[in-house]
Amino acid sequence: MNMLEVLRPLRKEPVPPTQAAMGFFTDTSLCIGCKACEIACKQWNQLPAETPHWQGSSYDNTGQLSARTWRHVQFIEQVGRRRPGVTIEEQIAEARNNGDIPQVAPGTALPFFNSERWLMHSDVCKHCVNAPCLEACPTGAIIRTEFDTVYVQQDICNGCGYCVVACPFGVIARDEQGDRQAHKCTLCYDRLKDGIEPACAKACPTDSIQFGEVTQLKARARNRLWELHRRGVSEARLYGEDEKILEGGLNSFFLLLDRPEVYNLPEQPTRPAKNVAPASFWTIVAATVLGLLGMLFFKDEE
Amino acid sequence: MDETRLPTLEVEERIPAPNLLEQMTPIRLIEGLASLTTGYTPDPGQEQKEPTYYDYPVLKQPVWGWEIIWYFFFGGLAAGCYVIASLAALFGSHQDRATARTGYYLSLLALLPCPALLIKDLGRPERFLNMLRMFKVKSPMSMGVWGLLSFSAFSGITAVIQAARDGLLGAWWGARWLARLPQRAIAAPGAFFATFLGGYTGVLLAATSVPLWSRSKLLGGVFISSALSTSSALIGLVLRIFGVPGRALRKLERLEWTALLVEMAGLLAFLRTSGRAARPLVGTAPGERGRTFWGTVFGGGLALPWLLQTSSLIGRKSTQRKTGRGLLISLLVLVGGYFLRKTMIEAGHASSKDARTTLWNARPGK
Repeated sequence: MNMLEVLRPLRKEPVPPTQAAMGFFTDTSLCIGCKACEIACKQWNQLPAETPHWQGSSYDNTGQLSARTWRHVQFIEQVGRRRPGVTIEEQIAEARNNGDIPQVAPGTALPFFNSERWLMHSDVCKHCVNAPCLEACPTGAIIRTEFDTVYVQQDICNGCGYCVVACPFGVIARDEQGDRQAHKCTLCYDRLKDGIEPACAKACPTDSIQFGEVTQLKARARNRLWELHRRGVSEARLYGEDEKILEGGLNSFFLLLDRPEVYNLPEQPTRPAKNVAPASFWTIVAATVLGLLGMLFFKDEE
Repeated sequence: MDETRLPTLEVEERIPAPNLLEQMTPIRLIEGLASLTTGYTPDPGQEQKEPTYYDYPVLKQPVWGWEIIWYFFFGGLAAGCYVIASLAALFGSHQDRATARTGYYLSLLALLPCPALLIKDLGRPERFLNMLRMFKVKSPMSMGVWGLLSFSAFSGITAVIQAARDGLLGAWWGARWLARLPQRAIAAPGAFFATFLGGYTGVLLAATSVPLWSRSKLLGGVFISSALSTSSALIGLVLRIFGVPGRALRKLERLEWTALLVEMAGLLAFLRTSGRAARPLVGTAPGERGRTFWGTVFGGGLALPWLLQTSSLIGRKSTQRKTGRGLLISLLVLVGGYFLRKTMIEAGHASSKDARTTLWNARPGK
């Protein structure tokens, strides 16, 4: 009986029938930074709270996605900041010149139309079509589910940490305070199995987080982008909707209001697994050169 | 969660203020070397203009620490000693028997701590057998597990045959049977798996998203060269201590000299192709490992022993070996090899914390 317990991870389970690919469309133009998604995620998945830190940079005191935080709301405050090496007078003059401070007659109300804005963004696992964490995982703990999402089987993961360095978005993490295994968003696999939407999407009061079939979400995202462009929000763009990122795109993609890097999203990361071939090639070159020379040295009879 | 506290705005830290330390020549020398070898001189003004989210890290830091550093070092020694011993056994003459014998024993000795270190490094060590659920060509770690397992078999059987032939196992029928096994025929495929073990660690680091490890694809070549240089140093060290005559040593020294040369060329090519991503390894800013890299790894562990080796290979005509100098060279190479792994892993941690360079690394056409 004990022997069977040991062999259990080796058993191959029947694969459930494939369903339509499911994902998130996170529309940051609708996010109000209420963090309901963070809380709903924590409650449903029974994730322990993290000690909040006063970061001193924004209202974001979560800081990052982690093994215990699978939704993370960023607060990007694009307000005028003192720049090092520039005097305040110079900065004011510059702001007047480029229209950041509107010209108003003395005595009128304070100007409230300016370029300053807060961008809110609920970050989450991207459920990449070519997921680097899945490609790196040596135990097969990370799998692609029947919903085309990326899922960590907690009974298999042995905490080797290779997925942590593989992920180009810094999503998956090892829980050093807890079970020392890799954790990340499951896209509420358990809820999906029962046909209900993930907790964060359910809790989002503005529909900034939308859940559904990836093909439908992408069509909706393109409509939304077109609508925003029509209304003059020319800086709006989609991230991960096309197949540029990691050669296949993201099943959990975003509508952003600035360059991806402003949200700490890498513009076009490459698949780490693509490095295996060239890196192996140069290793073989070095080994061959040294091996042949070694052969010559040892053959040499003086 | 205190360990994962994020850095607050590092604006001031990133702009080097002119201070007394800056005027000191060693730091200026290191900075000069860093700019020269990477082809990138830090431009804080320009870097500051690049957008990021309050400089919070884009990537998660590696969870690998001292266990992996020692594993890389011992694994390299196990692999290199086996390759050198096999070269000596397959192509050498009778005078190289001491080299082969020492190499096979040292290979197994260096290999023994490796599985323990790897299992200790896991978050759930009791689940290490789960590594054997898959044979995944795409994952260097999965291939590494299988490679290490296969090599262990070869290293073990070769060392046991050697022990039987050296009479260490007694004279009973089992030992006599072991001594008759074809060690040289086993060594050929064994050397293949040894080469794999010596090089895959670099490929494993290259197949990540950490800019320092992955931008250049040359880390595997550097690691396999280092495996051979440290191993020839270790075998040479042991042979010298046991007073083996000079002829066998000279072949080893030539191999060591060549491996050091290839390793230096590989490292320089690595730095050049990494560019800005190599800063955590070669620079002097807070968190960067330039002092150790240039002082202990490149200067003390590669360039200096290589020059000493050059002078003794050229200058020496008599068969009388300068034992002291040989021992010094071996020690320098071994210490340098260890610190190569250590700085590479530690600088990888720093690299994954650097949001701006991570984002720069992921820009198309960069």
